[in-house]
Amino acid sequence: MTPPAFASVDIGSTYTKGALFALEAGAFRLLARAETPTTVDDLAEGFARVRKQLAAGSGSSTDVPVYLSSSARGGLKIAALGLTADLTLSIARMAAYSAGGKVVRTYAYELSAEEIADLERLRPDIVLFTGGTDGGNSAVVLKNAELLGRSTTDAFILYAGNRKVRDRVLALLDKKAVAAADNVMPEVGTIQIEPAREVIRKIFLERIVDGKGLSAVVREIGRDPWPTPLAVFELAGKIGATQPGWSDFGMIDMGGATTDFYSHTEAFTGGDSVLLRGLHEPLLKRTVEGDLGMRVSAEALWESERTLITSRLAALGRPVEAFDGYIRAVAAAPESRPENPTEEEFDALMAAACVRAAALRHAGTLSKVYTPQGGFYVQRGKDLRRLTRLIGTGGYLSRSTSAGPVLEACAPQSADVDSQPLLPVSPEAYADEGYLIPLTANLAGDFPEEAARTAVAGLRKLKG
Amino acid sequence: MNPTHLVLGVIGADCHSVGNKILDAYFTEAGFHVTNLGVMVSQDEFIDAAVETDAAAILVSSLYGHGEIDCEGLRAKCVERGLDRILLYVGGNLVVGKTPYAEVEKKFLDMGFNRVFGPQVDLAEVVELLRSDIAAAGRK
Repeated sequence: MTPPAFASVDIGSTYTKGALFALEAGAFRLLARAETPTTVDDLAEGFARVRKQLAAGSGSSTDVPVYLSSSARGGLKIAALGLTADLTLSIARMAAYSAGGKVVRTYAYELSAEEIADLERLRPDIVLFTGGTDGGNSAVVLKNAELLGRSTTDAFILYAGNRKVRDRVLALLDKKAVAAADNVMPEVGTIQIEPAREVIRKIFLERIVDGKGLSAVVREIGRDPWPTPLAVFELAGKIGATQPGWSDFGMIDMGGATTDFYSHTEAFTGGDSVLLRGLHEPLLKRTVEGDLGMRVSAEALWESERTLITSRLAALGRPVEAFDGYIRAVAAAPESRPENPTEEEFDALMAAACVRAAALRHAGTLSKVYTPQGGFYVQRGKDLRRLTRLIGTGGYLSRSTSAGPVLEACAPQSADVDSQPLLPVSPEAYADEGYLIPLTANLAGDFPEEAARTAVAGLRKLKG
Repeated sequence: MNPTHLVLGVIGADCHSVGNKILDAYFTEAGFHVTNLGVMVSQDEFIDAAVETDAAAILVSSLYGHGEIDCEGLRAKCVERGLDRILLYVGGNLVVGKTPYAEVEKKFLDMGFNRVFGPQVDLAEVVELLRSDIAAAGRK
């Protein structure tokens, strides 16, 4: 009997990639791959081409189930609005990232006229509107609802704040596209992001299907597409939950525009003299850094990580001016690849800076506190020290043949003995060599264990 | 009617947790909605929680004798962060040594606290004062 076959296609902003798999003995076996430039004006065209290539490459019929993901419209832009920066706003950001979104702006407290104008200019897809515990603050929340209601923003507004004033908030926003979900923080310190995440997922879906020929594709395959980052987030969860030896792992997806960091590990494991302050972060966490990227965000990277990059350039004996010129060149031509050893060195330096900064921003910190009762440690944020494995994916890290770039995530930070970032200590490094992660991620909804097994089996272990 | 929200915690680098749990249970039993931040709480954490919950009062404990340094500036910070009408209570072993209570009380009242309590206070009395202070401040 021929094993059942499944096709998976990911429509990215630059390339449309596909793979044909056979499901055998609890894992997917790769039968054929295909890739074509994304046909931006009509996504269906590139999709059809990939599908045809897959069928030709395997000699099978085109009549196999197709799973689809897409990030072709540049992802979902979310503006997060919270009351205080360390509580509701911080949780709103977490919810946006774990729904596969990109946080383009954050606002705390009552919106100023300037912030409203900024929001109107920015035109995000969604405003994730939070603030107040259930039964808590209503004054600022209602004021913000009124301000958003009067603004000209055409963003979808998702209210996930103080539930006691939900009806009044919705009434103030009745002229807008609006929905409500349960409060992301019903009590101080309690994180409840699933309901908001579910609504964001639906909005995301409607948005990616809308226009550019994707609705025709969806009709043809008879299945909803996944937003790519959300599919990858779900796959990371399945890998952590089902694959032996992978309960504590991290994944760095570094591209031209952003660097995404995923971690699957218990955020806080305590101990006698360690106290967690601030939020207890989730087992599975994703952060997205919009200023860390190899091409589109090259200039932003140079700006954000200037100190690190400058010191590394000095160590390499390369002039800052040459690097500066390279940054301008690649930012202007995002498709460009390094053409000589110096440019390769510059790319490596950019990759190192992206990985390192993304890891430092994802990780929490541990500080020593001296008290009259003795020395204590205070942890804030997520502890990544127990990560035993780190995966590099995305163009540069998928192609990497050495563990060096991925292991930048473990680089020690400061000489401050009383405060240290909780970075991974000595993980093994892996490259998603065949760049199979987004394609197996598509299958993770219907075949969680099989997809997780396939993704892990497709990794190549890297040596230092 | 919604219960009145209180924010409770032990300020500074102080890890005394037993009294904190008793206060949490007592005020909850008395009908308040208590957000208990536990031990080693910073001024900003008290204020963030009070903003999010729309608390009527922040109840600060300090047991290890460094209360004065830890509490300095809390009132000003509350005002800066928009909590201009919040009640601030403080209690515990607020200073090191045998300073007379009246002196300690004055010091903390001058810092902007509404009520100051020593280590031996009847909690029923605190609840009564809290209720009347909340009513006087025009809160629910």
